[in-house]
Parts: sequence; C-alpha cells; structure tokens
Amino acid sequence: MFDFFRNTLPPWQWALLALVPPAIIALYFLKLKRQPLEVPSTYLWKRSIEDLHVNSLWQRLRQNLLMFLQLLLIALAMFALLRPGWEGTKLNGDRFIFLVDNSASMSANDVEGAQSRLEESKKLVGGLIDQMDAGMTAMIISFADTPQVVQEFTDNRRLLRERLATIEPTVRGTDLHGALDLADGLANPGRTRIQEGGADIDVVEAQPATIYIFSDGRFEDVKGFSLGNLKPVYVPIGSFEARNLAITGFSTRRSEARPEERQAFVQVTNYTESPQSAVVEVLLDGNFLDAKQVEVPAGESSGAVFPLADAPAGKLTARLKYELDTPTKRDALEQDDTGYAALNDAKPGRVLVVTPGNVALEVAFATERSGKLGAIQFKTPDVLTTDEYKRDADGSVFDLIIYDQCAPATMPRANTLFVGRLPPGPVWRGGREEASGQKDGNDEKGSNTAASAANNAADEVTTVPQIIDWDRAHPVLSSVELANVALVDSLVLDPPPGATVLIDSTAGPIAAIAPRDAYQDVVLGFEIFGQNKDGTRNVNTNWPTKLSFPTFWLNALEYLAGGTEESQTASVRPGRAVELRAAGNVPELTVVDPAGKTHTIRRSAEDVFQFHDTHQLGVYDVRQRDAVTERFAVNLFDRDESDVRVRPSQDPDAPVTQAADIHIGHVDVKAQVGRAPTRKEVWKAILACALAVLVFEWYIYNRRVYL
Amino acid sequence: MPTTESQLLPPDLMAQLERLELVTRKVFRGRMKGERRSKRKGQSVEFADFRSYVPGDDLRSLDWNLYARLDKLIVKLFLEEEDLHFFTLIDASLSMDFGAPTKLQYAKQLAAALGFVGLIRTDRVRIETLGQSVHHRGPVLRGRRGVWRMIDYLESIQAGETTSLAEGIKNFCLRNAGKGIVVLISDLMDKNGYEPALRYLVSQRMDVYVIHVLSQEELDPDVKGDLKLVDCEDQDIAEITVSAPLLARYKSTLNAFVGGAQEFCNRRGMNYLLANNQTPVKDLIGSYLRRRGLVR
Repeated sequence: MFDFFRNTLPPWQWALLALVPPAIIALYFLKLKRQPLEVPSTYLWKRSIEDLHVNSLWQRLRQNLLMFLQLLLIALAMFALLRPGWEGTKLNGDRFIFLVDNSASMSANDVEGAQSRLEESKKLVGGLIDQMDAGMTAMIISFADTPQVVQEFTDNRRLLRERLATIEPTVRGTDLHGALDLADGLANPGRTRIQEGGADIDVVEAQPATIYIFSDGRFEDVKGFSLGNLKPVYVPIGSFEARNLAITGFSTRRSEARPEERQAFVQVTNYTESPQSAVVEVLLDGNFLDAKQVEVPAGESSGAVFPLADAPAGKLTARLKYELDTPTKRDALEQDDTGYAALNDAKPGRVLVVTPGNVALEVAFATERSGKLGAIQFKTPDVLTTDEYKRDADGSVFDLIIYDQCAPATMPRANTLFVGRLPPGPVWRGGREEASGQKDGNDEKGSNTAASAANNAADEVTTVPQIIDWDRAHPVLSSVELANVALVDSLVLDPPPGATVLIDSTAGPIAAIAPRDAYQDVVLGFEIFGQNKDGTRNVNTNWPTKLSFPTFWLNALEYLAGGTEESQTASVRPGRAVELRAAGNVPELTVVDPAGKTHTIRRSAEDVFQFHDTHQLGVYDVRQRDAVTERFAVNLFDRDESDVRVRPSQDPDAPVTQAADIHIGHVDVKAQVGRAPTRKEVWKAILACALAVLVFEWYIYNRRVYL
Repeated sequence: MPTTESQLLPPDLMAQLERLELVTRKVFRGRMKGERRSKRKGQSVEFADFRSYVPGDDLRSLDWNLYARLDKLIVKLFLEEEDLHFFTLIDASLSMDFGAPTKLQYAKQLAAALGFVGLIRTDRVRIETLGQSVHHRGPVLRGRRGVWRMIDYLESIQAGETTSLAEGIKNFCLRNAGKGIVVLISDLMDKNGYEPALRYLVSQRMDVYVIHVLSQEELDPDVKGDLKLVDCEDQDIAEITVSAPLLARYKSTLNAFVGGAQEFCNRRGMNYLLANNQTPVKDLIGSYLRRRGLVR
C-alpha cells in the first residue's frame, strides 16, 4: 500500500490541508443570512415548503449538495497530492546522482518510442525524479568527454525536471571517469574535484548516495577509481541491433605523385555485421565535386581518394549516401555520416634571414619553388638591435627567422633556424647560462665556429666531425643525403628535452629540432661560411656544393614556414581547443562557426590565439580584418562513439537482453536487465476529476439544479 | 380626478361596455321596475303568451275578445320588466396591494367596468369591500348619473383592511340579504382557507361570481437565492432557498390552489374565473366574462 502512494507534502502542509474540510462544514453550519422579501402571502410558499419537508433528511442532503461536492473536491485534491501510482521502482536511499551520458553515440535513434537514446535517458531520469519522496535529494550530471553539473543536490522535483530538460546532445566522446570524479567529490566531501574554472561545491557531511548511470556503455573501463560510499546502478540505453556506417576519417593532402595537386581522403567504417556499400559524395562549399562507391566489409574500414586538382580554398564536406543492408535499413547515428575538411590556400610564409652575408643561402633560396613557399628577406645582424625587428619578432610577423652566424637577445615569436650559433638562454646549453659576448652576434676573433665558440667556454666545439647518421624520416631531412658532406668544425649540441636530433656525428649531435611553445627551433651546429677575425670569409663545409643543400633549405621552408597548411587541414575533435596564428600583429581574430555565429578571440598572454568553442561539427572560418585567412574542420571521427552497438553481456548465464557490465575500478557494475520501470501515476486524472467536480458544483450553484 | 377616472374607466372601455348588460340565470324580483326583461311574467305593455284561466287569476288580464270568439277564458300574459341587484365585493386586504398594476387596482377597474354595465341598464349597483362592518353599507347606485359617484367611491377604497375573508363575506351577507348578482373580487389568500367564506355566499340565493385575481409575481415567481419571505399581512416568515424543485413545487401548489377553488365553486353553482393582473380588463370582460354568462 505504501508503494501505491507517494507523499508530496511535509506534515505541516498536510495539517493545513486537513483543516480545510472542517472549515467547509463549519461554514455550512453557520446560519445562512437570508435576504428578506415581502410577499402578498406566504400561504402558498408555506404549503410548498411543507411538501418538501416530508422527507426532510433526504431534503437536507439535497440542500447541502454543494457542501458535499466541495468536500469531494478537497478529497480528490488530497488524493492527488498523495500521488497514487503503481509499477514504479522504489527508490532506495535519500541521495541520488543521475549521470546522464550525452556523448555523440547517445544521439543514436535506435530506441523505440524515443527520438534518441538521450531522450530515452531523460525520460527514465524523469520517471525516477517523479518517484522521489519528500526528503529525497538528487543531482544531475551530464557527461561526454567532460562532466557538467546540470543541477546540484535539491529536493525540488520541478527544478530537477526543468534542468533535466536542458541537457542537450553533444558530438563529443565519452569519459565516465571525470563524471565519477565529480560525483565522488560531491558525495564524499573533502575530495571535491571540480573541473577547472568551475565553482567548488561544498557538501557538508559524508552521506551515501546512489549513482544512476544512464549510458550506452561506449566508453573505456574506468581505472583507478574507488567508488567509496557511492552505490552505482548502470542503466544501459540503446539496443543491440543498432547499426551504423560512419565516416571515420576525412583529410586532404598533397598527391604523392604530383605535389602541386591535392587529394581528399575519406575513410568509411562499417559497424554492422554484414558488408555494406555506400556512395561517398564530396562537396566543396555545398557544390557537388565528386562521388564514389565504397564497399565496406563488416566491421572494417575502406577508403576512397578524391582528386581535388586545383580546387580553390573552401569548405569540403563528405557525405555518406546509403541504405543499410540490415532488416531495419536504418542508420542509428546521423552525426557521423558527414565529414568536414578545410581547404586552405597555400599562403607563402614570411621568412627573415639574418646573415652577415651568405652566398650559398642566397643561391639556395633563389629557386622558383622557394619563392612560392615564402617571401624571403635578407638582413644583416645589425637589424637585431632595431625597434622594427623587435616589434616584428614579438608580433609574429615572420613564420621563420634564420639566424646565420648570429643570435638574437631573446627568442622571437616565430620558428627559428640557427646556423652555427646556439639560441639564447640556457635551454640549449643544458641549463647553463650563456657567457657574455655571445649575444651580440659578432665574432671578435674566431675565424670559424670553433673559434667563435672558444670564446664561450661552455659551448663544446668539435673539429672535423664525421656525420654518421641523420633522421631521414624527419620532414626537414626528407630526401637529403649527407653522407658526402664534410665539416671543418661544429658545435656539439645539448638539445633540450623533447628535441629530436637531426644529425649525429662522431662527436655527438650537431643538428637538432626542438619545440618551443607553439614554435619549432632548428639548430645547425656548424656554419656554412665563417668569418675570420679580419673579416675575410672562410668555408666551413662542402655542403653547398652538394645536391642535398638546396633540398634541405626547401624542406626547412616547407616545414617551418609553409608547414601551416598541413597542420590546419588536420581535423579537430569537438570540444578541443584550437591554436590559431594570425598573420601579422593583430590584437584579435574572429572565428565563424558552422552555424554562422561569430566568436571574437583575443590574444592571450601566450603567443597564439586559443579557440575553445569547437562544439559543433563542421568547418570554422578564421577571419582577420573581414577576410577569411584560414579554416579548420571539427569532426567526430571517434570509433567508440560511431560504434553504437550496445555490447551484450559476456556472461554465459546472463539473459540475452543483458548488456555488458561496466567496470569502475575493480567493481563490476551489472547492467540493469530491462528498463527501470516508470511509475504510472494517476494524479493528473484525479485532478481532472476534481476539476470536473468543480465545474459541476458551479453549474449546480448557478443553475439551481438539483439531482 | 380626471386621470384616475380615466384609469379606472377609460373612454374606449366605456364605449365597449355600453353594448353590454348584466345577466342572471336565476329569477330575481327587483323592487323597482327596471329595463330588464324579467323571466317572470308580469305587468308590462309587451305581450308574452296566453294561458288558460285558472281561478284566482286577475280578471283584468282576461282576453275578452278571445272569450267572445272561442267561449273560453284565456289569460293574456305580459312580460315583466324589473331591475337587478348587482353587488361587487372587493377584497381590500394588504395582500391585494401587490403587483403592477396592484391586484386592488385591477379589482377596482373590474368593479368599475361591471358597475358601469349595471348602471347604464339602470340596475341597482352596490360596491362594497370586505372590511365594511355589518351596519355600514356601501352606496346604492342606479342610472348613468351614478357612474361618477361609483368611480369616486372606488377611488376612495384603500388597501389595508384586516378583516378575514370569511368575516367580510359573512358581514356582506348580513348587510344584503336580498337576491341578485354578487361578484367577489379577491385573491383568496386567507390562511384559514377560502372555503368557509364562500359557503356563506352559497347559502344566499344569489348568482355568485368569484373573480380570483392573482398577480404575475404569484403565478410565476421570479425569485433567486436564499430568501426570508415576509407575509405583508401577518408578518409571517417563510425561509426558502430557491431551487428548481422548490419552484416546481410552488407551481404545483398554486395549481392545486386554483384548481381547488374552481372545483369548489363549480360544485356549488358559483362561477369561478381566474384573472391575471396582466390581462386587460377590456379583454377579461369582453371575452371571459361574456363566455361565462355574466354579461352579454
């Protein structure tokens, strides 16, 4: 019987309500004030009343019909407040945390009677909220790759329902760990861990709580997490029959055979149990470009290559068109049937070469290809002290600065390539401070690298090193043959952590590349041309005479100055930050998202612009002074999310409909068999009855109708 | 008071009434010769019939010409002309002072109209109210000249008499013991019942007409809500909550009351007529009373 009712009011409100029926009866017992009316004779009236008084008890009942209707009305209202219902799951405990998965896979439409898995989850959570008794509190957390507190602990069911409705599907991956951390922090005080930027939520005392996890189980097992006093309940959402075909990769790259041509590469993955065929369409700015038929074996991926020729910059979209070869012929997830890629103009990089004079370099950069890749300026080391240089260096005007036989006082906001010098600062010196005299960039007496380095006792110099190996896989040394290069002397490098050694010699590394913030620094330990103390030039290596020399500089230009193109065509995962670089020293950039909304981002303390609002799939335009300078694409491309099939239980004893358990720490959380039954409540019908009674009472009162 | 005169007896009504005369079904002997042709055979100039002589007949009425011709004694009969005693008894209790027009006003109009008919036919017309004492009689009117006196007298009647219906009729019967036509105009609303009162009239050898005047408010009450009804005569109180069944019950009680009165009158040879105060006097006399035989 207790299950049949749910108490909704605290005792004092019930007490107030209980006073209403006696009040109604009392009002009816009060003497009715009748309006006096003079009539010729009460003779006929008296006789009429006498007739009615014959069966006076029934008459009294009839006269008090309105009172009984009012009592019935209040009784119905009280009955409705008791919220009679049946078949509901009894909620055990006082505190509940509802974890609602709103990752991309929860948008799958494989649930009967609901638009998506997320809607089904919300329906189930709503059902559980309906079953909360007075005194029970609950909170709602939605999670995709990051958790979000939708509603803190409250016993306000209306608020919970309202907030529940605000949960929107996302296109992100799933990370249960973060959500559990957050829930754990709120349920087990003293261990509160809220995601960065979020406000701390204090929980006063440690109380056990029940965590309801509404998810399709498409996530990694949660490792290294202790549930403590949290009692998990896993409600699997979705069906085993969900079938999906997804674009899991879409990128553009230069053709291997013809570097001036670009190609788009689409990868289609089949998450069904039978081979499928689909048509992949590629559109540029909404205009059809090409289409290809793709056959995908069950559970595998296939690729299709689309030549783009000299397609202009724009937004590339790849669409899957197909009908699943499954009984339902329905694709469970639509979000991953479209892939996006940005096609950017290959814009020439701006390159500054600071050199006291280097014929070999000038010749190497004089090729037509080099001119396409970058606008190259040559300056003498005197420029390093000018304000103009300092402003340009700090303002990211240059993509690449080559310091030949010189070094700046501080590192610029650009990729750098040092020839025969170490970058300023202790990073490249194993933590040692550089000695004075090195910075000015002018050798006083050294005739070559060794001589100049000798002045700085800390920098180790080797003479006549033999090159023994070089990193052929690195793009800078791609197709560069160094076996026949001879050196007179070179600095022996002590590259910082994270650096890649490019050239190894008998004495140690003599060329290396290392990342610095958003930039890359390449250091060649050896000079090409040195200067004697008297100003005459000497030759330090025979490399300029080799074919590999111009190849190296071209690679360096492509990788350090023109390398933006490749990095920007790579896809970004939804929700991840994107680093953007402005051309020139501008204070702010504008990003237009696929929905057309404009975001203005300001330069942070760091060198680059950070853009975080990558919540939508599609191609984002980066605008600078009203012109689109570049584009980047945000794609789901998540195999875990695209594989929407709910994993069946591996337990041989489990029923067929049992979903796989999820593992949290070393606890196996069994999936609930079937759905959590939603309570069928009749309070709305009762309230409707009460309303009908009210209308009936009104009718009787106004029309003086008696039964 | 020309206005009230015309209210009681407007000229067009007068014109209509000129053509009417009062009728009685019983044989009455008037005290004076009137314009009325009596059902008795009498001594007028108008020949009525012959019959055989029986001893004791006035020899003056023998038709000697016939005796000479037929050698039989034949008596000539002549029509008798006589006057009629016409009484109008008006209930002037407080309960009659209701309605629009008030029932009393309606009763006065009716009395004036009937009285007028009587007067122009030189009948003896006497109008009295129930509240008059045994010794105080109303004026006797006769002839056209009496019309204005009658109207004046009617005007002077005010509601507020407290004599019960039975008492009033008893007093009337004591005052006027003769024969004639009596028209009782009342609402019959007497807590002691109308039956004993009407029985007094039955015992008189009079042609009795009961005109039962009820106002529209009584016939179809338009009341709402919880009411305390106060009787205007005895301040009696009846508390009612108006509802559809109560109204239905009232209607049936009213019908029983009216039907009972009608049946009571019919059984005792009295003429009963229910008059709604909304029915014009002209129509009432012109159609209903004519049909009932009071006037022709």
